[in-house]
Amino acid sequence: MTLQAVILAAGEGTRLRPLTQNRPKALIPIANRPIIEHTIISLLEAGIRDIIVVVGYRKEQVMRHLTHLDLPIKIVHQPEQLGTAHALLCARDQIAGDAIVLPGDNYIDKDSIQGIVQVRNALLYTTHRQPSNFGVVTIDGDQITSITEKPSHANRMTVSCGVYHLGSELLDRMRHMSMSEAIDAEIRSGTRITAVKAHSWQDAIYPWDLLSMNEHLLSCISPVRSGSISSSVVLHGVVSIGKGTKIGPGTVINGPVIIGEDCTIGPHVVIEAGTSIGPRVRIEPFSVIRRSIIMADVVIASHSALSGSVIGEGCTLGEYTAALYSRGYIPLEDGAIQAACGVIMGNGVFCRPSILFENTIVGNEVTIEGRSNLRFSCIRIPDKTMVM
Amino acid sequence: MCGIVGYTGYRSAAPILIEGLKRLEYRGYDSYGIATLASEISIHKKAGRVSDLADSAHILMGNIGIGHTRWATHGIPSDINAHPHQDCTNQIAVVHNGIIENYAHLKRELIGRGHTFKSETDTEVIAHLIEEAYQGDLLDAVRKILPRLVGSYAILVISTGDTRLIAARNQSPLVLGIGDGEIFAASDITPILEHTSRVIYLDDGDIAELAPDSYTVYFGDHPAEREICEITWAPETVQKGGFTHYMLKEIFEQPDVIYQAIHAVSEETLPLSLRQASSITVVACGSSYHAGMIFRYLIEPACGIPVRLELGSEYKYSPVPFSDVVVGISQSGETADTLAAIRKGVCNNIKTVAITNVLNSSITRSAHDTILMHAGPEISVAASKSFIAQLGVLMQIVNILSGRRCDEVLHHARYAIEQALLTDLTEAVDLCSTAEHLFYVGRGVFYPVMMEGALKMKEISYIHAEAYAAGEIKHGPFALLSSETPVIAICTPGPTYDVMLGNLKEIKARGTPIIAIGYDDDHDVRDIADVLIPISRGHPWIHVLTATVILQLLAYHTANRLGREIDMPRNLAKSVTVE
Repeated sequence: MTLQAVILAAGEGTRLRPLTQNRPKALIPIANRPIIEHTIISLLEAGIRDIIVVVGYRKEQVMRHLTHLDLPIKIVHQPEQLGTAHALLCARDQIAGDAIVLPGDNYIDKDSIQGIVQVRNALLYTTHRQPSNFGVVTIDGDQITSITEKPSHANRMTVSCGVYHLGSELLDRMRHMSMSEAIDAEIRSGTRITAVKAHSWQDAIYPWDLLSMNEHLLSCISPVRSGSISSSVVLHGVVSIGKGTKIGPGTVINGPVIIGEDCTIGPHVVIEAGTSIGPRVRIEPFSVIRRSIIMADVVIASHSALSGSVIGEGCTLGEYTAALYSRGYIPLEDGAIQAACGVIMGNGVFCRPSILFENTIVGNEVTIEGRSNLRFSCIRIPDKTMVM
Repeated sequence: MCGIVGYTGYRSAAPILIEGLKRLEYRGYDSYGIATLASEISIHKKAGRVSDLADSAHILMGNIGIGHTRWATHGIPSDINAHPHQDCTNQIAVVHNGIIENYAHLKRELIGRGHTFKSETDTEVIAHLIEEAYQGDLLDAVRKILPRLVGSYAILVISTGDTRLIAARNQSPLVLGIGDGEIFAASDITPILEHTSRVIYLDDGDIAELAPDSYTVYFGDHPAEREICEITWAPETVQKGGFTHYMLKEIFEQPDVIYQAIHAVSEETLPLSLRQASSITVVACGSSYHAGMIFRYLIEPACGIPVRLELGSEYKYSPVPFSDVVVGISQSGETADTLAAIRKGVCNNIKTVAITNVLNSSITRSAHDTILMHAGPEISVAASKSFIAQLGVLMQIVNILSGRRCDEVLHHARYAIEQALLTDLTEAVDLCSTAEHLFYVGRGVFYPVMMEGALKMKEISYIHAEAYAAGEIKHGPFALLSSETPVIAICTPGPTYDVMLGNLKEIKARGTPIIAIGYDDDHDVRDIADVLIPISRGHPWIHVLTATVILQLLAYHTANRLGREIDMPRNLAKSVTVE
């Protein structure tokens, strides 16, 4: 019996708003591929071809994306988002024997998958600096002794990656709201769950975590030069340029950088390491982009400087836009969170020239009109706001 | 309108034919049949859908066969009238797509010579004619009888004692697929794609002789060279991929489609005849006609070029066109009426331009110039992405002719449609799905947008939906309004805003529920409307696109709520290849 993989991609990822307002977390592009696609690639590299994807939140977008891949992926609908174990239950009758269960919105490399494939009834774990955002696991020898989902105070640094290898008898018993609860209940009733250490694993809890995830995944790209590149362009390191993209004279790109299809960049633009630029993006002369994620259809006018930023689809940034990477607390409805970014921008933002952002979150379809030289620092602008 | 498929090769023919017919079901689905040839011809044919009934057909023996899925034109849908048809001796089997116009005459002649007819179809005459002409060589027999047929046809013929499959085409589509040690023939490439990507589009008057490892195409008596095209559409693109219906999948493909369509025309590739035109005639049918109407509203003020707009089926009753160029719009490129209009233009020495989705379709070979809209294969009978693609092409033409004033707007189109796909329509669907009649009203360029919205609603939900120009409401339709007839209106800031608001107030005063498409924060509209469907801010062109998408989704979700057959609405077929 071949091992099947079930990818749970029905969740929204509310803490990544505004980026997940219009798309599930699994579809956020990292290194120009949705997160779920990186997971699918790792599965294929590990030799697992029988893949089931559970979809729910904004499911049409996920399905549309999966049809672009040349793979026989089975789709299962989760009508209501009642937790990860319920999502797995929805896919139960598609699973013939044992299965690997993975989250669609984390990055897992092929070595980790190959590791857990060897051990039946196992859980993949790793260590993390902020364990209380995850399911914290306690381990005795190579056995898991408990899982506590998002504890207020974590006394261990070991966290669950949300990747399981479950035998068919265990799959039948996954009926609790979340996988962590279901597994914890199993452990307490005496089932032995083996702990397998992950090789490389990345999750993004908050939008600024996407930047380090992006940096990490950019280290795996290979150089591509399909566009038309002016002879005076300077390229260092690994740079991938998609087909139909035009890079104007005098542009400097320091890899690792990935640029999608049909972009127009330059002349005289600087793109620094750790940057992903989606398809059909236009970056006008004399702009500098550092360690950022620029999604599809964005226009960045001349003389702009962005660092440590995530720009959503279809944003238009006027001339002399600046986003400076800095740290600070951003106030929310309930308390504040510590953030470290230039600007996190939702989809379809329009921004007039000469605006400065520092450590700011801008919601979807915000319009920033009015006078120039506005400065935003450590604030969150809600969706559809008009700033006059 | 029917679909045909043929196979000769090393595999068992029946399963391949059945799978192929399932893919062609959109072309007709009231009855189907297949014939395979081992030592004798065995036939399985039935009234009903191939996807519901065909399991028992897989057992037919033989490596060569033909199949047909029917959309009745002559004779009711029944087991007997289903194709394939045979001659008196059951030695020959024929499938046919098209209409033999002189069949009544031929039938009388054949009966007079002692033939007995089993069915009421026009196709059966072909089988009997071949029987008479057959002297040991099937190719010769088919070649001899073709001049006797008047009308349109794509036929596939097999005969006992002959290992070849004979295909012939005149004015109905027919494509050959060239595999390794096997050859396919079909009405379009969808059934072929999963087996091979190398295809040949036959021309009118072609006869092809097909054997597992060789094929020859004849034009008249002489062998003819036909180019092999490599198809880049992946077979996955014609599968559902988790979507409940093809239509929903196609609606969600529209962001990419609009981008492709806008980039399908550029200043360099715009046909010279269009660039120099001082007047344009647009001929189209159905959804394409609405696209043409939007084109007229956009180009006349922007470029001052007068546009005459005609329905394909009515154009033949008009005198010779007086404009410089005739533009025919057809998704399939096979729409008989639009094709006739293009041919009429060519006959009258007028430049013609075809806008179509299918490379090498009949219209591309008749028109002087072709603009392909690159929407990819559309399976759902109700047009969605092909309509958006037509708008993309037409808007880009207006943009180029008016000096590229709207480059920025068109750049934004893809993203705007992506956003429109997220619109929540639950309340509007609640209202529409319980109604028996719906009225769509709009002004200016939004009038044709509403016509398209109403057409979608009619097509797939079977709710009676009519579109009116808002000013026309008072000239009659007002009498029909009541609390039972919801009105769907679009009211966005612009030259039509104030008048439209006035019209809506009058409608509201009759107690009619109003579903308004407008800005989320527009309190005037919100106060009048029972349901407000929010549309994002932008240029009027963007509103045309996003409102279209919203109305498609409204029709889809309403039909889905009512449990309709969305991809294959009753009584409708994908492309209308008869007049």
